[in-house]
Amino acid sequence: MTRLPVRLVLFVLAAAVPVIFVLVPIGSFLVMSFWKMDGADIVPAATVSNYVEFWSNESYRRTFLFTLRLCAGVTAIGLILGYPIAWVIWRMQSRWRTLVLLLTVIPLFMSYIVKIYTMRSILGLNGLLNMALVAAGILEKPSTLFLYNQTAILATMAVVYMPFVILPIYLALDRIPGTLVAASSDLGARPWTTFRRIVLPLSAPGVVAGALFSYILSLGDYITPQMVGGPSGFTFGRIIWSQFGLAYNWPFGAAMAAVLFVVALVLIAALGRLGKLDGGLP
Amino acid sequence: MIRTWGEILAERAAALVLVLVLLVLYAPVFVGALFSVVTVTRQGIDWQSATLSWYGTLLGNADIARALRTTLIVSIIAVTGASVLSVTLALYVNWQKAIGRTLIELLVYLPFLLPPIITGLSLLIFFARIGVDRGVATIAVGHSVFVLAILYRVVLTRLQSIPPQLVEASADLGATRWQTFRFILWPQMRPAVITGAILGFALSFDETLISVFLAGSDSTLPLRLWAMMRVGFTPEINALVTLVLLVTIGLAVVISLRMHPGEGRG
Repeated sequence: MTRLPVRLVLFVLAAAVPVIFVLVPIGSFLVMSFWKMDGADIVPAATVSNYVEFWSNESYRRTFLFTLRLCAGVTAIGLILGYPIAWVIWRMQSRWRTLVLLLTVIPLFMSYIVKIYTMRSILGLNGLLNMALVAAGILEKPSTLFLYNQTAILATMAVVYMPFVILPIYLALDRIPGTLVAASSDLGARPWTTFRRIVLPLSAPGVVAGALFSYILSLGDYITPQMVGGPSGFTFGRIIWSQFGLAYNWPFGAAMAAVLFVVALVLIAALGRLGKLDGGLP
Repeated sequence: MIRTWGEILAERAAALVLVLVLLVLYAPVFVGALFSVVTVTRQGIDWQSATLSWYGTLLGNADIARALRTTLIVSIIAVTGASVLSVTLALYVNWQKAIGRTLIELLVYLPFLLPPIITGLSLLIFFARIGVDRGVATIAVGHSVFVLAILYRVVLTRLQSIPPQLVEASADLGATRWQTFRFILWPQMRPAVITGAILGFALSFDETLISVFLAGSDSTLPLRLWAMMRVGFTPEINALVTLVLLVTIGLAVVISLRMHPGEGRG
């Protein structure tokens, strides 16, 4: 029997690093959200004024709600395109499956900045989209409509976060025992019935995990809106980031980050219960 | 099994979506590579201008060389730290008498589940409060807590798949706990640690959203790239982009080969 004091000491040793570099930093930013600025100095306080300012300022509140909707759009596109992709890979013969799965996983590792940059060179005034449309005679001259607006943010985020949706769905599908599908069709169920009653419910955990990743990651993104959104593309993440840069108001930034933190935690807790998150981690 | 028309139609449609999405996902590779060798003007692509000279210019760029060095140092420190930590934590959590398992696992997974901006700014505020200047060390800590989740997950899955009888037999035969780890557990865990470390390296090499908050005057390659792009598009950037993509694709292929089908979900 290992005595309790020994177990406690071992726990403290094991937990030390995660507590110091994860829990304490989260605690410090939550604490700072109740502080305030005094001129150019950050001073300790116990005020909720940062939260009040966030919610009472029309443009911050609007940006927050806009970002929630935008990321729902990103996630919806991810699911609508990602589910069929995961499904068709799952249905492939095994030698093809490995190769195509590899092809969809590789973009997860391709540079994030490069992806955004490429989307910019596709959507821009001298971009490939304009070249193609002009060459095809659809447009008379290159259009500025595709870049530096909210649609550009939506499209770019959808592309950047798509592999995060496909992979968990595929992993969930891959876990469905083939015997269940075979049994369903042996018992006379038509393919659509088998899909609706067997495949779809059993892949739900992957759908939930993929949606969660896509939504939370796009919610906190601040580089995509800055690169392809231009002046009109302000999102919540970008506002938070600016408080730690030019705007220099760390307590206010911390308060908005606390809002983001709570939204993320609620989603993780609610959806994590729905579908086991295990499927989400590669 | 006979497939119905509906099934074939659904498969075709889904395959079309797959091909289109893959085209867009791989556009960075083609566009970057193309624009790094030819000049683009308002009239279109000037095929006559094809040259590899931008890759030469790139090699002579001291800023980029410095950023690349910083990135490599950060990644190596972060991955080494996270590897040691992941083995320690996996052994601890796998121990039957461990207390506070849920808390430890929650803290390990949080930086991976939360938006990176939260990890970045919380560490920024933490380091500012305790008076640590931003630099290579702070970026390395940020990357470390981020890649820890992946490493831990891979290592723990492997550890849990080792039959407990092996450990019991080792103890029955008089091995100390250290000997059991060294000769029984570690040889089985090592491949998982290496796979996790390569995975962590690939993530750290590319990490941007946390680094922005934790980099002082030392910028990593993604930060340098971002700064260059804000100034404008140059063939030199595209040459760099192409090289970066080739490295990351190479890493991804290595990782996939190491994670055999079935084990990959670990």
